[in-house]
Amino acid sequence: MLPETVISARGLVKRFPAPSGPPIEVLAGANLDVRRGELVVVEGPSGSGKSTLLNVLGLLEDADAGDVCFGDRTVSRLGRGAKGRERGRWLGFVFQSFLLLPALTALDNVLLAARYTTGVDAERRRRAMALLERFGVAERRDHHPAQLSGGEQQRVAFCRAVLNDPPLLLADEPTGNLDDVNGAAILAALRERARDGGAVIVVSHRPDAAEGADAVFTLRSGQLQRAAVLK
Amino acid sequence: MIKALRGVLRGYLFTIAGIAIGVAGIVALGAMAERIVRFIEGGDRFVLGQISVAGRGMGMGAGFTAGGLLPAMAIESIRKVEGVAGVQPQVMLPLNPSTSQFLTLTQELVVGMDLSVPSPNRNCRTLPVQSGRFLQPGDRHKAVIGASFAASRHLAPGAQLELEGQSYEVVGVLERMLTAPDRFVVVPIEDAREQWVSKDRLLRTVLASGGVALRAQDLNTGAAVGWRDGEDPDVVARRIRDQVGGVNVQIPSELSSLLRQSTAFFSALLVGLGLLAFVIGGLSLANTVAAAVFERIRDFGVKRALGATDWHLGREILGEALAVTLSGGALGVLLAVALGLGIDGWVRRSGQQLFLFSPRLLGGALVFSMLLGAAAAAYAALRIVRLSPAEAIRRGSAA
Repeated sequence: MLPETVISARGLVKRFPAPSGPPIEVLAGANLDVRRGELVVVEGPSGSGKSTLLNVLGLLEDADAGDVCFGDRTVSRLGRGAKGRERGRWLGFVFQSFLLLPALTALDNVLLAARYTTGVDAERRRRAMALLERFGVAERRDHHPAQLSGGEQQRVAFCRAVLNDPPLLLADEPTGNLDDVNGAAILAALRERARDGGAVIVVSHRPDAAEGADAVFTLRSGQLQRAAVLK
Repeated sequence: MIKALRGVLRGYLFTIAGIAIGVAGIVALGAMAERIVRFIEGGDRFVLGQISVAGRGMGMGAGFTAGGLLPAMAIESIRKVEGVAGVQPQVMLPLNPSTSQFLTLTQELVVGMDLSVPSPNRNCRTLPVQSGRFLQPGDRHKAVIGASFAASRHLAPGAQLELEGQSYEVVGVLERMLTAPDRFVVVPIEDAREQWVSKDRLLRTVLASGGVALRAQDLNTGAAVGWRDGEDPDVVARRIRDQVGGVNVQIPSELSSLLRQSTAFFSALLVGLGLLAFVIGGLSLANTVAAAVFERIRDFGVKRALGATDWHLGREILGEALAVTLSGGALGVLLAVALGLGIDGWVRRSGQQLFLFSPRLLGGALVFSMLLGAAAAAYAALRIVRLSPAEAIRRGSAA
């Protein structure tokens, strides 16, 4: 059973060294709570730190200060190995540039999510195939990423993100490299994910990403400010 | 499993090719070094197995019997020295007297053996025959030839060989030993004495003058001397030198040392070449493997995002590196062997063999490449896992 609050972040601070002068503070005490079944959209101008926020929330990068909790467990202070295991257990990622592995087929890319967590068994294969079917790329299962269009690659990446049915989906500009039709399809899938009870955080500059969101935040000066919700 | 391995190998095709070239270089140079080492070791084993005695002074004698005449009386005196077990008179002549003596290691020699006396050499009781037979007591104008000599002249048992105007029947070809006997023509000592007289104008003149009382059995350029069990060969050799006049006695350990000194340049050259091959080939291999791992830094970042731990990635990278270096190493070994055999096939026409691919060399090259590949992969893996997944993805995407 999923906890009510899937992820919470308190006082996140992240600085990057500047070529000269003081470090650049990208996150300056950002706070966020996302409950199950919620779709949260984070907006902000380019370079405002949206991707950094998502990386910190997804334990892909350490914050300089602040805590990230999955459920009631503080995970941001865990060691490297434990963080890896928590990522595998809790998270699914959808990246702007898809980040499919070029040497693997579409099916193997989807199954990659299981390789380091549950292991690849017949059940996972069936589920991976069902997902590829559902997102209209089953016929491309033996194709390598270079043989797929951008929309197809993102659909494969989405299948990979949800294969393990993770409690939290993090999507970094998931429609950034897609045309309108494919972009809309991915956003619909993210909304559906939230409707099914998962928590979803989407970072996007696309106006229609906020449609149907439960909460919209704007990242400004390193802080998350709640914006009006268009439900 | 096999599909995954095939996938890995396909993805690393250029890496495997790079490793193969590095390993091929190491193996080829190593095989040349092995060839020289075998030559030196073979010579060493031979000279350490007997005490070599020659007549004092200058003469026609070649090889370790270089010196003057060793008459039968001197041989008889040697037999009586305490600790001596057997003496085999020998005649060693350069096949072509015009050949300069400074290349005696690769010189073609006519070796006349007294077949009535067993070989006293402890490390070389018989010369191994590859085809045909060895000489027997009573044989005349028959020859057993070394492998290189046979190859360079396309001779086999049954062939005829012309030596100093006399026809000889080749009755046997020795196994390739990669040392001096490969270039020997072994004949009965009586035949060798005939050749000596025929070759040496001074000797002919002396014999014709009748001024010196020489019998056929006095025409020896040297003798191989054996020692009794429990005797120190160096002590026996010194005893011969002290008790028998007019002889040059080679102390086995001194001769061995002399042989090593004379081949020291080649040994040093090969050690240098070998080290250079190991350093260059090793660096190239390590660099290729590490570069191949770093090239996939983004993939490793993605895998960590998907839940892979350091252990997962380390195992994966190491497994792939071993598969890749083993494949590249095996391919490199095959490449070097094919190249070596090709070159040897070409130079064999002149009786040469440049490469010796010993199991220790091939196994060593494979183990070396795998260890180095694993070390390079481990280094790259350590560097990668220290990065955050986001940083790995960023760097991989920027590359």
